[in-house]
Amino acid sequence: MNETLLRLAVSALLVAAMIGVAAWARIARPVAPLDEASARDLLAGEFPGLSPDYVWIAGDGAGVIARAGDAALVVYRLGDSWVARSMSWRLALQAPVKRGRVLLKLRDPAAPMARLTVSGVQPWPPEFQSEELAA
Amino acid sequence: MTLDPIKPAFDPVQYAVPIFVISIVAEILLARFRKARAAYEFRDTATSLAMGFGSQIAGLLTAGATVGVTVWLYRTWHLFEIPMTAWWAWVAVFFLEDLTYYWFHRISHERRFWWASHVNHHTSQHYNLATALRQTWTGGIAGTWLLWLPLILLGFPPAMVVIQKGVSLVYQYWIHTEAVRRMPRWFEAVFNTPSHHRVHHARNPRYLDSNYAGILIIWDRMFGTFTPELDEEPCRYGVVHNLGDFNIFRVAFHEWMAIGKDLAGSRSLREVVGYLIGPPGWSPDGSRDTSATLKAKWRAREAAAVSPAAAAETVPLQAAE
Repeated sequence: MNETLLRLAVSALLVAAMIGVAAWARIARPVAPLDEASARDLLAGEFPGLSPDYVWIAGDGAGVIARAGDAALVVYRLGDSWVARSMSWRLALQAPVKRGRVLLKLRDPAAPMARLTVSGVQPWPPEFQSEELAA
Repeated sequence: MTLDPIKPAFDPVQYAVPIFVISIVAEILLARFRKARAAYEFRDTATSLAMGFGSQIAGLLTAGATVGVTVWLYRTWHLFEIPMTAWWAWVAVFFLEDLTYYWFHRISHERRFWWASHVNHHTSQHYNLATALRQTWTGGIAGTWLLWLPLILLGFPPAMVVIQKGVSLVYQYWIHTEAVRRMPRWFEAVFNTPSHHRVHHARNPRYLDSNYAGILIIWDRMFGTFTPELDEEPCRYGVVHNLGDFNIFRVAFHEWMAIGKDLAGSRSLREVVGYLIGPPGWSPDGSRDTSATLKAKWRAREAAAVSPAAAAETVPLQAAE
């Protein structure tokens, strides 16, 4: 028993050391804030075959909500990677904004909530150019 | 010379721990100084290593039952007396354990109940040596260890099987890297390699449900699940629906939670069975994607890109979600 506990303690120390080295190294993939073109590229990779007709980009460039028919295509940054889900466009428009972030319930135990930064330039819900988009 | 048929003379994984630590630090340093290809996001790394640490604890909690059943079975009945000191016995257990691993791994991807236990290993969007240590917490409960019992019934001593399983686990560690592009041609033909295993960890539709090998890639070639890595299509790592955060409990249990949610809404025995042991993504109305439907849609898009007329004869193009 003592030997097992000792092994676990040593493992925990080694894990902490390796995490420290990884944090020090700063070798994550570079991720630039999204713009319209890069957001559309990202959406094309995550939702192949769909053509979003409207793209909203988070104020900090760390997420995107796009409309494709009745669906909202949601992508947000996690570390140096991206997480993608779809939800109802209608529900996305009704999502609350709290503390400068729109909170999208994704109804998935693997990714329950997306939090995207809203800014004055990029308010949520978006101010639509046409009535068709708002419908 | 005699070897205890029940208690392993050594644990290959314990011996390999220093190698794990040194090689992970080396991969990070080589990437830091641009001498090797690797990316480490420190929260992702922390998640992988915490999962590895947690799997040790989970293993201790379930070891009593798994070891108890295995030893009881061996002592109750086995077909042959296989001596641990015979060279041919080690050759035989090498191949048979690796074949068992192939089928364990294949079932763990193609049937949801076992995928729920294995998925955590695939949740990193990175592919580095730390990812190798992102191990399951629920393998003992999922019962995948039962697949190794036929070897015990055949007569291989439990210690022998445990040692060979450890050898396989240690072998599979080094192939979790982007730093090695290709091994020599003969090696790629016979053994599982970083290239083959990158494909296994990829979520590109082309690569889904491929390369289940442990040590020998020959099983994938034999059973039709081999897919080569293509330079023109880089692997995108992770799962089809990537996790929303780095919470290790979500990593360990999210698919079990999703199964529970689906079972709670089931309306027939067919739905219960489908949600439990159908392929991951199975749904009664087909509204979700399985690997098979994702591949079919991908093939349709590929065909459409080449010839729109040919595409019309294949699977209709649908939304990806």
